[in-house]
Amino acid sequence: MDGEQEPKAKVEEAKKLEGRSPGQLMWIRFKRDRTGVISAYVVIFFFLIGLLAPLISMLYGKDPYTVFADERPELFDSAGVPVQPNGGISGEFWFGLEPGNGYDVFTKLLYGIRNSLMISLAVTVATVLTGIILGVAAGYLGGRTDYWVSRVIDFLLAFPSQLFFIASMPVVVSLFVSPKDETPVYVRVVALIAVQWFLGWMSLARILRGTTLALREREFIEAAKVSGAPPGRIIRKEILPNVVTPLLVQSTYMLPNFVTAEAGLSFLGVGIVEPTPDWGQMFSKASTELVMQNDITYMFFPGISMIIFIVAFNLLGDSVRDAFDPKTAR
Amino acid sequence: MGKGGRRAYAGLSLLAAGALVLTGCSEGGSKEGGNKEDKENAERQQSSIAFGDAKASTGPAAEVSGAKPGGTVTVLQRDSFAHLDPGQIYVSDEMSLSQLIHRGLTGYKATSDDGKKHEVVGDLATDSGTTTDGGKTWKYTLKDGIKWADGSPITSADVRHTFERTFAPFVANGPTYIQQWLADKPGTEYRNLLKDGPYKGKSLPDSILETPDDKTIVFHFKKPKPDLPYALAMAGYSMVSKKKDTKEKYDKAPMTAGPYKIQEFKSGKSMVLVKNTNWDAKTDPIRHQYIDQFNFQFNKQFEDSTKAILDDSGANATAVSFSNEVDAGNLSKILSDSAMKSRTISGYQPYVGQMNINLSQPEMQDKTVREAIAYALPITPFVRASGGTQAREVAGGLISPTVSGYNPEFDPFGKKKKPAGDPAKGKELLEKAGKVGLKLTFGYINTPEGQQYSTAMAAGLEKAGFDVQRQEIPAETYYDQVSKVKNNFDIFHTAWGADWPSASTVIPPLYDGRQIADGASNYSHINDQKVNADIDAASEITDPAKAAEAWNKINEYIVKDVVSNIPTAYYKQTQIAGSKIGGLVYDDVIGGVDPRRLFVK
Repeated sequence: MDGEQEPKAKVEEAKKLEGRSPGQLMWIRFKRDRTGVISAYVVIFFFLIGLLAPLISMLYGKDPYTVFADERPELFDSAGVPVQPNGGISGEFWFGLEPGNGYDVFTKLLYGIRNSLMISLAVTVATVLTGIILGVAAGYLGGRTDYWVSRVIDFLLAFPSQLFFIASMPVVVSLFVSPKDETPVYVRVVALIAVQWFLGWMSLARILRGTTLALREREFIEAAKVSGAPPGRIIRKEILPNVVTPLLVQSTYMLPNFVTAEAGLSFLGVGIVEPTPDWGQMFSKASTELVMQNDITYMFFPGISMIIFIVAFNLLGDSVRDAFDPKTAR
Repeated sequence: MGKGGRRAYAGLSLLAAGALVLTGCSEGGSKEGGNKEDKENAERQQSSIAFGDAKASTGPAAEVSGAKPGGTVTVLQRDSFAHLDPGQIYVSDEMSLSQLIHRGLTGYKATSDDGKKHEVVGDLATDSGTTTDGGKTWKYTLKDGIKWADGSPITSADVRHTFERTFAPFVANGPTYIQQWLADKPGTEYRNLLKDGPYKGKSLPDSILETPDDKTIVFHFKKPKPDLPYALAMAGYSMVSKKKDTKEKYDKAPMTAGPYKIQEFKSGKSMVLVKNTNWDAKTDPIRHQYIDQFNFQFNKQFEDSTKAILDDSGANATAVSFSNEVDAGNLSKILSDSAMKSRTISGYQPYVGQMNINLSQPEMQDKTVREAIAYALPITPFVRASGGTQAREVAGGLISPTVSGYNPEFDPFGKKKKPAGDPAKGKELLEKAGKVGLKLTFGYINTPEGQQYSTAMAAGLEKAGFDVQRQEIPAETYYDQVSKVKNNFDIFHTAWGADWPSASTVIPPLYDGRQIADGASNYSHINDQKVNADIDAASEITDPAKAAEAWNKINEYIVKDVVSNIPTAYYKQTQIAGSKIGGLVYDDVIGGVDPRRLFVK
């Protein structure tokens, strides 16, 4: 892409004759990519509303746990369908009310985004860390370590991950809970993060292993070795800065995948359950016959917001990759 | 009968994001009409069901107005019939089927065209039974000209065989009332009376069951059993042919005596019923034989059957479902469309929902705490989750409107006025008990409905100051888990339906403190001396009206003074049929479409 922009950039560089780090170059290239910048704003917007959800709902004056079907029965028929058209959208309830128990859709969506993004971000961080540790170690150390880490990766990649999630979630949850108490929300969250992390780190580790393997044979590493640098230092100071590119690109691809996977689990009823708000669980609510037949508007809110988020994040991932590696044709 | 965990999960429909673009905006919910019909329903339930004499038991049944013979009806059912052997039938959809194929000594005759008034009459017997000693001895005489589908006559030997084989080990799914009465033993001890049934040459002595000639049957009980004519009308006590009894195999291919016989049955798939030419309308005061053929199709979920019937073209115009109701999603839409509404029928099911307070838990011993729960508990979440007021009616007591003795005025916790609960009053009581913040473990059935109503109920109880801990219980094992004597739940919801319109099939199994055991249905573990004594007294009252009153008093005492069970809702349902189906009536005793009156327009 950017067949015309590329030469211009070179002219500019030639004029100023400044030395720029690869990071600065990447940033300049990225800023020129309009799609990427817009996507970045959208993604930042989503993270912001997730972060500020408590503040927004405080200003808005409602929370996602109030059962409005019992608090304000005049707004609902006896089956819990909002009497007003379009799911009861009004000046008071901006996105309407959820059929069933009558939760406020606006705050529910805010908190749903917040919870889903929090979980996915945690999974991403955990998988990236694991990927770095195991992938780089396997690639740099080689030999027996490489063999065993690679076999574990092969083994885990062979797992049918979605089925594994569904089957293992209840088991993991039940490990932590006393029979007298309700399953606390954090246990479900930790379990969700754990199962997704367990089967999520392999692809990144494999890529990092490959990159490290190639780097290991390069002259500057040889030089470092000859000058007596310990392996820890070589990994930290020589290898890690050189794997940042695949790391960033991969994690921007992984995060939206984790968002959809988490939503899928909650959709199937093994992730976050009512009344805790969650993106995926709003989908499963939207797919019930009650909502389908009586209040199809409801589906737009989780549906459109998630489409926008996933598309924006994937475009951002593409732009990041292009910015780092402009020579690769898409 | 227990309301088992047979609810199918709503199919997990795959959600295509593209569908969003295609669908328009949605209308609001339906505005509902008044409660006039409900009140009428409640009023008519006051009269109990009488026992008919020989005249009332003489066939043929009164013609259904406008009915004409002929035609084929498609029956869309969710569950295949697991049992066809009368001795094994105890589930409501099999009971509906058995109205067409099986006959018993007695049966319910509809005495009005709307399916609301009934009388117990003799079906194969000449009357509903005669007793001279207050219900200890009951005598039945068989009608003339009654035949099996193969043309052979039905005799008292068949009747004797029918009851003797209910003691055989393989008959494990049917009702056990009459066996227990004959043996005068509670629980499963009755089986010792005739361990192998009639199959190893033994039979019941004349002192228990007497068949002096081909036409006469006499039951001898140790204690008065005034409810025998009701019990005999259960599908589970329909007749089994002695000659054609194939024991376990009878369950798939039984000999029948009703107006229809089974031509073909593919379990899990389909069933075809055709006319039984050996059925004589003159011997049958209950049934009709207008339709030529019934084609059953199984595995039709509520949404599927509703959509097919709404389609109303081809075979769907003559389609009906005996057991499927209109699914909750389509319900308000259909009821707001007058053309579609005219094709629907609604009425009560026999079930009453109740929130059980587990009296074995130490914190639940305090009556003030239990009252606080009773006041604070919102019922609306349960009504909503089940499809609204057309599917559930807020209950005051534990006796259903379909059971004699029902008192519509009884509502000690004001649930009918404040269905969303009274958290203020609950909080006041909880403060009085000094237990604010009490941990309350709420076991709920893990279905979409269960999750929905339990979260809203928990929110209501929390407003009154409880710390509600919701615990999910898998739907498949729900009743197994809550019927364990040692369980961790403080409160959980169950439903129970009467086996015949008398509270004697409700109060003793649920509230008799001597029946607390694993798997038994005394879920709240109530063991109250007064209740136990009153149950014994009420069981022996022979006058049905007085008995109904006595049962209702026990009901009111349990709800108001013991506060172990909080009534939630009476179950109702709405069913729909194709536009060419005639004679569509909701029968209160069957708890659904009356299959005997149907015809094709």
